Amino acid sequence: MTGFFNAHQDLLIFSGAAALKVLVFMGGVMSFAALLTLAERKVSALMQDRVGPNRAAVFGFAFNGLFQPIADAIKMIFKEDFVPARAEKLLFTLAPAFALLPIMVLFAFIPFGDHVMVYGYRVDLQIAELPLGLFFVLALSGLAIYGTFLAGWASKNNFALLGALRGTAQMVSYEVALGLTLVGLLMIYGSAGLQDMVRAQGALLFGFVPAWGIVYQPFAFILFLTAAIAENKRTPFDLVEGESEIIGYFMEYSSMRFAAFMFAEFVEIILISMLAATLFFGGWQVPYLYDSGFILPGGKALALNHYLVAALQVGAFTVKTVFFSWALLIIRWTLPRFRFDQLMALCWKGLLPLALLNILITGAVLLALGKL
Amino acid sequence: MISVKKVNNRPLNFLERIYLPEIARGVAVTTRHFFANLFNPKKIMTVQYPEQASPLPGNANLRTRHRLKLRADGSPKCVACFMCQTACPAYCIHIEAAEYPDNAVEKYPAVFDIDLSRCVMCGMCVEACPEDAIAMDTREIPGGAEKRSEMLLTKEDLLRNLPGEPSLLGASNRLANEYLEGKK
Repeated sequence: MTGFFNAHQDLLIFSGAAALKVLVFMGGVMSFAALLTLAERKVSALMQDRVGPNRAAVFGFAFNGLFQPIADAIKMIFKEDFVPARAEKLLFTLAPAFALLPIMVLFAFIPFGDHVMVYGYRVDLQIAELPLGLFFVLALSGLAIYGTFLAGWASKNNFALLGALRGTAQMVSYEVALGLTLVGLLMIYGSAGLQDMVRAQGALLFGFVPAWGIVYQPFAFILFLTAAIAENKRTPFDLVEGESEIIGYFMEYSSMRFAAFMFAEFVEIILISMLAATLFFGGWQVPYLYDSGFILPGGKALALNHYLVAALQVGAFTVKTVFFSWALLIIRWTLPRFRFDQLMALCWKGLLPLALLNILITGAVLLALGKL
Repeated sequence: MISVKKVNNRPLNFLERIYLPEIARGVAVTTRHFFANLFNPKKIMTVQYPEQASPLPGNANLRTRHRLKLRADGSPKCVACFMCQTACPAYCIHIEAAEYPDNAVEKYPAVFDIDLSRCVMCGMCVEACPEDAIAMDTREIPGGAEKRSEMLLTKEDLLRNLPGEPSLLGASNRLANEYLEGKK
């Protein structure tokens, strides 16, 4: 037995570290998504001068509604899990999984920190380091369309099918724009690995400006955010499924299957926030923070412990993620809904040409600077 | 003749057409509200209703919780004639009549229950009463309850106040109970 451990020590430690990363990171993401369901209601309430949920209490302590997600989950579990008589049973069952799974897998490629050295072992703070991470992210988020379409088609309900058609058209269209907005970043960083892109953003421009993606590609950031919100199917692009008035693709779903679709939406908010932070706002990078500690542009240095640096970086990534999630909620509760023709016009006549223009200008500038 | 109002919306200028500055303005408004309410939640106008209640407008003609009125001598005006029970569209009134030992003319209600969980607050009982014995002027709005039994108003509740909610009308009605106690 000892021989086995000695022979496979590296593999075992790698697997153990990977399992631990999955547990901690995915656990964090899942709890944050559950809290987002509460945050959505609280943020919207505060924006509209309301109070929001504050009644769900455990032993008489409500903590201003902190237990609401638990109450919601319990309610969802105990609701009747209804399947329409003519529905396509297998696909009807699989559709929520198709909606949720690709988005969950994507978190494996998000770097939430640089690395930590534990007893001489280097643990990268990213679940799976993939050289083509960005392409994989785009490919898998494209798969999420299956969830939408299968849900609408398998319910054998005409309204659900129409909703699914709207959703598919929207997602396919914005998939194109989403991919093209990121080409500029690929050209600048010369890598599609998300960890490489974040490392490249640690450099300084002109000696004092952090070389974050937003500095190089501010325009692409706006296009990316627009396309990502549309991909997420939330207001102002929520005509796929507008909770209060538009019949959407998961109208036949109830209980936890319905919850899976809603949860996928909230998980996707986190994913978009993390991608925006990773691609445009330096990921886990803290300005002027290096492996050895802070080195300010003036030359002043502040040496920091290795673990403290790692904690600061993970903390910075968390703060950026939370900020973008909050910003997405604010945008969702501020803007009115687009009409379907406006939505399509915005994508094909607005975002797509602008994204192509962005690629052209980026390429021209890089060529002029001799970096291409 | 229908009057037609023609609205001449001015065409959007360039900044409005690209939509982004307007989004920024809208987000600024909502964010301002968000932080104002986050740091100063007391300013939110919401009233946590069953626990708190905003005062009713003084001169409003409201139909609120029922009460049974009293005569000058403190006896209940109700003569248990069943008119209100008959008029009630929600069948929420239950009366059982009894006779005074010293009065062969009139009856009094031995039981007078109003089930508030069925009551639709329509005021038909008040309209039907020939003795002007029932009124809906306590200015107490019945809230929710956790048990059905808590929604049942008995004669004592109607002649008295609801516990913990003193009102002049209700307090004066305590006399009626004492009168009835004295008869036993």
